[in-house]
Amino acid sequence: MKKTILTILIIGMFVPIFGSNQERDLQAAFLGKFAKFIKWPDESKEKFIITLIDENPFENLLDDLYKDKMIHGKPIELRYVTKIEDIKNTDILFITIDNQAEVQKIIEYAQKNSILTISEKRGFAQRGGIIQLNFVMQKTHLVINYKSSIESQIKISSPLLAIAQDVIKEDK
Amino acid sequence: MKDFKYILILFISSISLFANNLKQTEEFYKKPLPELLKTETELKADVASRSGDRDILLSEVPIDVITSEQIMQSGTSELSQILQRFIPGFNFPRPSVTDGSDHTRPFTLRGLNPDQVLVLINGKRLHQSSLMNINGTIGRGTSSVDLNTIPIAAIDKVEVLRDGAAAQYGSDAIAGVINIILKGYGYKSKASATYGETKEKDGALKRTDLFYSIPLDYDGFFNITAEYRDRGATNRAGPDTREQYPTGDPRNDLPSSVNMIYGDADTQDKLLAINSEVIAKSGLVFYYSGLYNSRDSEAGAFVRRPQDSRNNTNIYPDGFLPMIAPEIEDYSFTLGTKNILNNGIKFDLSYTNGFNDFHFFVNNSHNDSLGDDSPTSFDSGGTSYRQQIINLDLSKKIDSLFLAAGIELKNENYEIYKGEEASYVLGTFSSSAGAQGFPGFQPTNEVNEDRNSVATYLDTRYNYSKNTTFGLASRFENYSDFGSTFNNKLYFTHKPIDSIFLRATTSTGFRAPSLSQSYYTSTTTQVSGTTTYQSGTFAVNHPVSKSLGAVDLKPEKSKHISAGFVYQPNSDFSFSADYFYVKIDDRIMLSSNIKEGVSDEVKTILNNYKVTSARYFTNAVNTKTDGVDLRLNYKNRFDNDSVLKTSLSYQYNSTKVKSINTAPSILGEDGQDIIVDSSTIISIENAQPKNSIKFYNQYSYNAYKVMLNLNRFGSFQSVLFGDTYEFDAKWTTDLEVSYKVNNSLHIAIGSENIFDVYPDKWKNTGSSITDEDKIFQYAQFSPFGYNGAFYYIRVGITF
Repeated sequence: MKKTILTILIIGMFVPIFGSNQERDLQAAFLGKFAKFIKWPDESKEKFIITLIDENPFENLLDDLYKDKMIHGKPIELRYVTKIEDIKNTDILFITIDNQAEVQKIIEYAQKNSILTISEKRGFAQRGGIIQLNFVMQKTHLVINYKSSIESQIKISSPLLAIAQDVIKEDK
Repeated sequence: MKDFKYILILFISSISLFANNLKQTEEFYKKPLPELLKTETELKADVASRSGDRDILLSEVPIDVITSEQIMQSGTSELSQILQRFIPGFNFPRPSVTDGSDHTRPFTLRGLNPDQVLVLINGKRLHQSSLMNINGTIGRGTSSVDLNTIPIAAIDKVEVLRDGAAAQYGSDAIAGVINIILKGYGYKSKASATYGETKEKDGALKRTDLFYSIPLDYDGFFNITAEYRDRGATNRAGPDTREQYPTGDPRNDLPSSVNMIYGDADTQDKLLAINSEVIAKSGLVFYYSGLYNSRDSEAGAFVRRPQDSRNNTNIYPDGFLPMIAPEIEDYSFTLGTKNILNNGIKFDLSYTNGFNDFHFFVNNSHNDSLGDDSPTSFDSGGTSYRQQIINLDLSKKIDSLFLAAGIELKNENYEIYKGEEASYVLGTFSSSAGAQGFPGFQPTNEVNEDRNSVATYLDTRYNYSKNTTFGLASRFENYSDFGSTFNNKLYFTHKPIDSIFLRATTSTGFRAPSLSQSYYTSTTTQVSGTTTYQSGTFAVNHPVSKSLGAVDLKPEKSKHISAGFVYQPNSDFSFSADYFYVKIDDRIMLSSNIKEGVSDEVKTILNNYKVTSARYFTNAVNTKTDGVDLRLNYKNRFDNDSVLKTSLSYQYNSTKVKSINTAPSILGEDGQDIIVDSSTIISIENAQPKNSIKFYNQYSYNAYKVMLNLNRFGSFQSVLFGDTYEFDAKWTTDLEVSYKVNNSLHIAIGSENIFDVYPDKWKNTGSSITDEDKIFQYAQFSPFGYNGAFYYIRVGITF
């Protein structure tokens, strides 16, 4: 039996763990996947920029996933910032901040600068964020604030709208 | 055995190699969006974590999670029975002819006592029932939480922590913690109806429920669940072969008939649950949740034959079966608010109020001492318990350090209230006082006692590195009756390689003596000559108890060690093994009856207080429990898009009595046997299965879903008249097939214990009532009851 356990452990040593945080893995994949269904008003930048504000819950995952990929024919740059002033010209902004007053300021900044905002925080879409991406009953729960995307001059194509559990088209 | 080893290696290797070719995130990225939305993520749990939910496979302690889908995938109406199907070591026998315990049936974890499990609703402590399990059930002398007061359609998931957690939650969290999470944000409204009955065509279950969800601003919600369930009685009593009528009566020659009820009580439950969060634009959350249950129930007591001295043949010429019919009311509610302050501190302030009232009524009975004019139905009085808690929790994450602290104020009240006079009074016609079946509580039994406690805690977690975490929790608590207690928990987790996760904890814990244990009093009146005597259970502070050596109860104290690992080569396969050790000192037991034959001194005391026999609660026993938990989970999505989910789980637990506390000297040389007799020791050590296996399988294909659940209930022992009997382990099988007619309608048919397995019968006992062909053919302690197969159909709509 000792040999059996040893063999299993040795096999285990060469096996990366994949299942430890599927929610994060899915969110990481969704960031780039969403972009394929979005049209920004200004697509003249040389790079496609994804920015995370506040904590980075993905650790190295986003860097590993997107280092060799292209979105809209552009290489991807990842930025990690903690202050609203550092957001600058980004395409996607993933927000992990808890403080609602801060979140509200960021949403307003993003709307003025045509940034696609994404967050897992409940109520994010109703507060003016564009995509709320969280999990209910072990499945992805997607809420899109279409009105906010229009105000941000961001066009979301219908296949993405079609799969959302809830689409906000006017103020609730 | 060799083959098994190679199969195991091959099995794990094949999964591992398959996993090695994939990188999950890359795979996700390649999939179309609708596919991604179908992906099922890991199970998470909040229990024992102040920092929010986490993957149960990466938790510092072993946790099981039962999902709402699994909960609803059942024909049964009782949450306890549902949990027993999924959690090895969750024991839920179905006692019968045990007075109140027929109607609020206790459950246990790890072979310990029912009151050594803490139950939470949305993370807040749920109150226990006021019922004292006083008869020969598992957990005699304890009060347990009644899980069946919760409508199952309201439940999002049930988290079961398999470890001590008193340093985090306080009293009771010794065998484990059950955290019931009510459905919250994002759930659709649903209604369902279930009908079922046993193979013997009794125990008809009619259940309807409605879960209705109203979304509120900022993803707040107002959810309400209403349920009505009507469960018919079952009866597996055999014929009474004893002589029924006085000797010489020709009716004694008639064939023996069944004159008792041995099975489930006839029960009607009305249940309501509310769960709501109202969220302000600022992020401030107001939350409230509530449960309400009203239960009318009826079950038989012990039969009084026509020739019984307690029978009045003018009222019952053919004898009678007293029916105990309690009305049970139970509710709890929590109000609270939580938010994150500008400095990053999270706060959560809440108030919880829980109440249980267990009111005994007896029908089809009489008070023999009142003669022919005796009423036949009685209000026998009852017990109630209220628990009020104020909690303030604060927490903050500072880089790698997570800090939480809080304070808890608790007030408890326990009451015994008398029955109507005819239910307990001793009349002049005979010496049998009170209502037959359940004599009422007397005015001298009445109790109204309070207790206050204050607790403060500190909970820290430090991520030493990406793969190593330490945690320390400390809790100081002061109770107004027994004083202070201070408990700690230290844990450590480490991931030496990506697919292996190691965890270890050590902690101390306690269980405060319940108010019912300190103050429960129930006596009956007897007459001898011209003197009236009392006998029964006396409160610990009653003068007769004190004279017989009773001292104020102190808390049960526990020490815990657990260690284990999780092997998870990919998200679809995991295996975990955990060892646990629990040492409990000063376990509170109900003594045997102390009678005048013990010694002259005892005789004098009893005579002085006009008592013929007395028993009381005392800190009596020191035990150790150890065992292992194994879990294997596997999920596979086949090419045809069908999905198989399998979970194989096993628990071994063994409890040994290490020592018995020194008995009061007044009880003499046999004092220890009086406090804890040999049958009580066997009940502690062997009355609950040591081994248990659950093998759950679910296969989904298109609109069909098939659930197959195998349960192995280990062997157990039971004592009858001083002799010990062994009952073999049994396998039972549950099967359900459901079909989704369209997006809103589904229908399911199924069976629990489809192969109609029964526990072993008593054999060669020599008893006139308990044997394989007598009234009681099955043991009370049978872990899966003795109803046989149960068939059901369920229809549900989502809207």
